[in-house]
Amino acid sequence: MTALFSSDDCYPSATSDLQAHTEHVLSERRAKPRTDKEPSLDKNNHIQFLARNLLQGFPSRYTSQDASQPWLSFWTLHSLSILQVSLDPGNKQKAIDTILTWQHPDGGFGGGPGQAAHLLPTYASVCALAISGRPGPGGGWDQIKRDKVYAFFMSLKQPDGSFLVAHHAEVDVRGIYCLLVTATLLNILTPELIAGTAEFLASCQTYEGGFASSSQPYFSATPDSETESAKALLDKPRPPLGEAHGGYTFCAVASLVLIQSFEGQESTRLPQINVRNLLRWLVQMQGTAAELGGFKGRTNKLVDGCYSWWVGGAFSLLSSLGLAPPHEHSGAEEGAESWDDVDDALFNREALQTYILMACQHHAGGLVDKPPKGPDAYHTMYCLAGLASAQHTLSPSASRKAEIRRAWKNTGTGGLSASTIPPSQSDIDDEFGDLRKNVFLETLSWHEETGTQCILGGAQNKVNATHPLFNLTVTHSEGIMGHFYRQTIPPVSIRMKQPE
Amino acid sequence: MTTTTTTDLYSDDPQWVDVTPIPQYDGINPVAPILYTDEYKDATDYFRGVLKSGEKSERVLELTERVIRMNPAHYTAWQYRYQTILALGTPLDEEITLMNDIAMDHLKTYQVWHHRRLILTQTKQAAQELAFLVKVLGLDNKNYHTWAYRQWILSHFSDDDLWRHELEFVDSMLRDDIRNNSAWHHRFFVLFEAGVRAGDEDREALARQEILYSKERISLAPNNASAWNYLRGVLDRSGTEYSSLAGFVEPYAGLPGPTASDADTIDTENPAPQPGARLPSVAALEFMADVYEKQGGERLADARKLWTSLAREHDTIRQKYWEYRSTAAGKL
Repeated sequence: MTALFSSDDCYPSATSDLQAHTEHVLSERRAKPRTDKEPSLDKNNHIQFLARNLLQGFPSRYTSQDASQPWLSFWTLHSLSILQVSLDPGNKQKAIDTILTWQHPDGGFGGGPGQAAHLLPTYASVCALAISGRPGPGGGWDQIKRDKVYAFFMSLKQPDGSFLVAHHAEVDVRGIYCLLVTATLLNILTPELIAGTAEFLASCQTYEGGFASSSQPYFSATPDSETESAKALLDKPRPPLGEAHGGYTFCAVASLVLIQSFEGQESTRLPQINVRNLLRWLVQMQGTAAELGGFKGRTNKLVDGCYSWWVGGAFSLLSSLGLAPPHEHSGAEEGAESWDDVDDALFNREALQTYILMACQHHAGGLVDKPPKGPDAYHTMYCLAGLASAQHTLSPSASRKAEIRRAWKNTGTGGLSASTIPPSQSDIDDEFGDLRKNVFLETLSWHEETGTQCILGGAQNKVNATHPLFNLTVTHSEGIMGHFYRQTIPPVSIRMKQPE
Repeated sequence: MTTTTTTDLYSDDPQWVDVTPIPQYDGINPVAPILYTDEYKDATDYFRGVLKSGEKSERVLELTERVIRMNPAHYTAWQYRYQTILALGTPLDEEITLMNDIAMDHLKTYQVWHHRRLILTQTKQAAQELAFLVKVLGLDNKNYHTWAYRQWILSHFSDDDLWRHELEFVDSMLRDDIRNNSAWHHRFFVLFEAGVRAGDEDREALARQEILYSKERISLAPNNASAWNYLRGVLDRSGTEYSSLAGFVEPYAGLPGPTASDADTIDTENPAPQPGARLPSVAALEFMADVYEKQGGERLADARKLWTSLAREHDTIRQKYWEYRSTAAGKL
């Protein structure tokens, strides 16, 4: 058998010393499980931690998150959703009223009242409203100024297809992911909005296979081109800025799948990324048994509970990028009937749950990066979302898509008011309708097939599944999208076997 | 530069009496509130007041600095500070001096680095930046923002003087820590991503040089994933067949190499693993399996043997992946 601990090859460096130290700390967690039985998820403990933060507030050390107030709410509300807890109507209303104070008069949401609009809090606010809001007066959903959100998004657009996260702020793929999820949920996607964005995302893939924070554009320097937009963007060089990283990789990959959902599978306009290298990099991010199977965010860095989602959650997206699932290679002699029993995951789902349950739970409630760190709202949610993605496998389902398509009603664009769409585009309104129908069907047909769950420690550890693209529960995704696309989504019909 | 004392409240300061502070939440009882200190609440109440009045003045620079020092992620304070600097025509070198100080305390904050980038875009005075970044990387040699910023400086200004010593710098970072993946990535950025620099026009020679560089580093620490990933990057980018390195990799995979009989000969092109290395190295097994898979035909069985040994013995956490590779082989 292989040795448990990693080797420094008798050539130690700061990285291998830190790695050895972390493996030592984690081995103590393994040696002393808190019970003799299988590891358990301390749901009540975590719910109390979350409820305390939501209702009583966060201690002053969270001042560093003062510009991320929508995130504090979203992390807390979504953690509760994953733990199958919903708020009472009074607290829901309180949440809605709070979230609406973050909306900027010129579109989008800021990190708190009076703060400038920014793509990241816009995602967090809209997702928090997906959880707590409802249609109608005071419900939050109809108070979102969607045409202004769209104008805000367009005002951030750069000549290389990327977006600033806010005015005078940086470009990075987290912002693009936040923009695309928001635009998808609110039904304001247009071809104009996402022109060039897929190419930008592809340019962020590094030689390792994962994605970097952004890339540097170069433009042809013709003397007659005065403005950036008039210059031609060069294909090369277009260097990634920064190394392959778990958070950026999830955001880039999910963004590419969202763009593809909008443009349709048959689209030939999407740039090529190296999916084989991406898969290789993702699997390399899983720590060994000495690291209890947690995920790290970069090569030669330490495992951290939050990458349970950023890296662990990215695996389910690979099939949408053209990676053939394992069962397609398992030979023609095996019939479709056996597929339900095949664990398609290409990472070790059980080991990831071991890491989260044994290393990331804090005795006082909440979840952590790694011991001996303290819990916080961010790690609590991304550890729980990672746990959900290890327990549940959601994949695009042709039969679920067919169900939703059958229920589709043509209700007009439903999205932006006519005045928001530039006159030059009014002739492609029909195309918009088709594209928006595409994205509705594609994003809501992610479905968990029976027999694909893998729950370490027994059914009492089970948490709610979370949507692989949005990181909302399926119920919350359907609720807000049904509203903004003016659709009624049929319940999932019980099927014995997949007819696809 | 104004000295700020963070114990004084603006609400007690007669010089601020003309500004109406604005409380954050008016008339609502928010969910998930932060229990701020008095100093932070006071400063941000006045900051909201200034945002509303649109005042851009020296004292606004002082106010935004105070907010930023208490919360460097307050992007609205940064944004307003930048607009104020532009409006007042504040000397930008002073701003950079202040940023040097703030950056050292708050390396992990996006805004610290982006504000610097905005200022540099204006001043175009990049000469001192690289030396400053060496100092910052001394505090945290894998800081993502610092590396990304360094790469921006190099690619945005694209000045030969800036580039001249970059490879020496990467070398020194890798001598400090051979496993620093940020430094390996930077090496790839410098040589393969950011255009062709003077002296590097012969791309084949460059690939040969970098393959040898990787081999030497792998021989020192054969289980260092960063070096293997870099080697793969160079091979992929230069279109070099993996099989051309089989002779080098075999000893690391515990396979008998073609030069095994010449134990006394030192092959400088194919350095052997150093004593004390743990072999076989997982990365070497994976590499050889890739070589065999590409060769196809009867060699597929050899590839499968290696994937099986990875799945069952040497890299069991990735069992599913190695099995996938085995079933997918020859069908992709």
